[in-house]
Amino acid sequence: MRTLFALIVLCVCSLPISAGAAEKGLTVNSVRYASYAAFTRIVFEVEAAAPYVLIRSTDGRSVTVSSYDGPFLLKTPLPMFRDGVVLGLESREEAGRTVVVIRLDGAVGDVKDFVLRGPDRIVIDIAKGSAPVPVPPTDKIAVIVLDPGHGGKDTGIVASQGQEKTLTLDLAIAIRKMLQKDPHLKVVLTRDRDKALTLDERAAASNAAGALLFVSIHSAADAGSRVFIQDLFEEQGTQTVRPVSGDFLGYEAGSEQQEMLWGKQQAAHARESGALGRKLARQFAGQDSAEPVQAPLALLKAVDAAAVMIETGAAVDRAIAAEAIARGIELYVKEN
Amino acid sequence: MQSNRLLLGVVIILATIVASGGIMLWMRMPSNDTVQKPALQDQKLAHQQFLLNEPLPITLYYPHEGMLAAGSAVVKRQPDTQSLARAALAALFADQRATLEPVLRDIRLRELFVDAAGTAFIDLTPGPQKDVRASAWEEQLAIYALVNTLLQNFEEIKQVELLLDGREAQTLAGHMDLSRTFTKRMDLVKQ
Repeated sequence: MRTLFALIVLCVCSLPISAGAAEKGLTVNSVRYASYAAFTRIVFEVEAAAPYVLIRSTDGRSVTVSSYDGPFLLKTPLPMFRDGVVLGLESREEAGRTVVVIRLDGAVGDVKDFVLRGPDRIVIDIAKGSAPVPVPPTDKIAVIVLDPGHGGKDTGIVASQGQEKTLTLDLAIAIRKMLQKDPHLKVVLTRDRDKALTLDERAAASNAAGALLFVSIHSAADAGSRVFIQDLFEEQGTQTVRPVSGDFLGYEAGSEQQEMLWGKQQAAHARESGALGRKLARQFAGQDSAEPVQAPLALLKAVDAAAVMIETGAAVDRAIAAEAIARGIELYVKEN
Repeated sequence: MQSNRLLLGVVIILATIVASGGIMLWMRMPSNDTVQKPALQDQKLAHQQFLLNEPLPITLYYPHEGMLAAGSAVVKRQPDTQSLARAALAALFADQRATLEPVLRDIRLRELFVDAAGTAFIDLTPGPQKDVRASAWEEQLAIYALVNTLLQNFEEIKQVELLLDGREAQTLAGHMDLSRTFTKRMDLVKQ
């Protein structure tokens, strides 16, 4: 049926809604999302529940959300994200009315919606499809953040090839040079000179840039090169705040919510980080079975994107290392 | 007749006094058990002393050739787990196999205590150079050398938290997250 007609769903909340609320339309206070193993959830937190309209396009590649009656006001910017199910969110004006368009991967499954109260929320669950299909090429620019480790007084290890802070900066610049040949990639460096940065400043720079992926570059004194991903260990018996990617866009800087969630952003990207880590580990090792190392990394836990830390052996040829990293990044971007 | 009765009364009273004295004396006499007790206690104490003097074999984990290696060591027995755990880490920090590698070479054990929930708090302090420089991999191996040594030897210890100079710290050498608790990682041990 989906291929023949647009699926139009008029969702009149079953919960009691005042007539006044319906006339006022919908006011969206915040929009957030979470990626789960089987589905992606998008939550519109509204001032007061009211009837809304959900339309899925005939090709199944988008869902439009609007108010049934009255204006649809967005009091917050829409989060920028893509996770293999959702390709992005955007607001549009259609026939003088504001609508939110959720762009979907072509292979996604059912779209379900429901309303929760206190605070009032419209929740949209988009199930993953069974067979992934390649994403058609778009003009969207993927932001790649490269983080040369250490800097300033923090020299890192000192090898016969030089100080780690210099080796990592040189390598990051070489990778940037290679990646910039692709017009669909924008490469951001957390530092492009000898400068001290805290771990939180590096994560914040990546989050502010809207990174698709984040690669922190380090050196080891031995000959070995390793790719690390975050070990997402949850402490037993402690109250944990569910990591919800993108929530920072809706919170005021330094708010209590932001304090609680800082350092938990990476949990929402475990799958993507694993995929990026495998790509890079296999490029380095030249083996299809190579896997990244899980480690409790202080830097990556606050990065709101696919994130890895690479440690290249100081004796490894820098040009070969740069090429392996650049190729791994390109492969990941093509598939995501 | 009158004098006979008086004599009988005196005899009865005397007999009663003698019997009461005898009973009291008997009760005051130490029993065989209590006579033997000090000897038994001495034996037990001697046995305990023997056990305390008997060295306790433990397994140390230390970085070696890019992985963790297991090695045996002995420590003096201690009356409680906390003291034993402290002795085990002191043995690790004193072991030349461990101190050849970065991180463990550059830090010292300041204190260790174990809470009722089985969390061991290892308080570390940098050595004289005041700066711990190591790769992420070396830092990870050093941390799990400490964690595995405690969790493999003492079942009362369930998890480990690391402190620097008595305070919570972000990292040890710039990479690993010290804000969490650690459990053992045997996948880092060379088989």
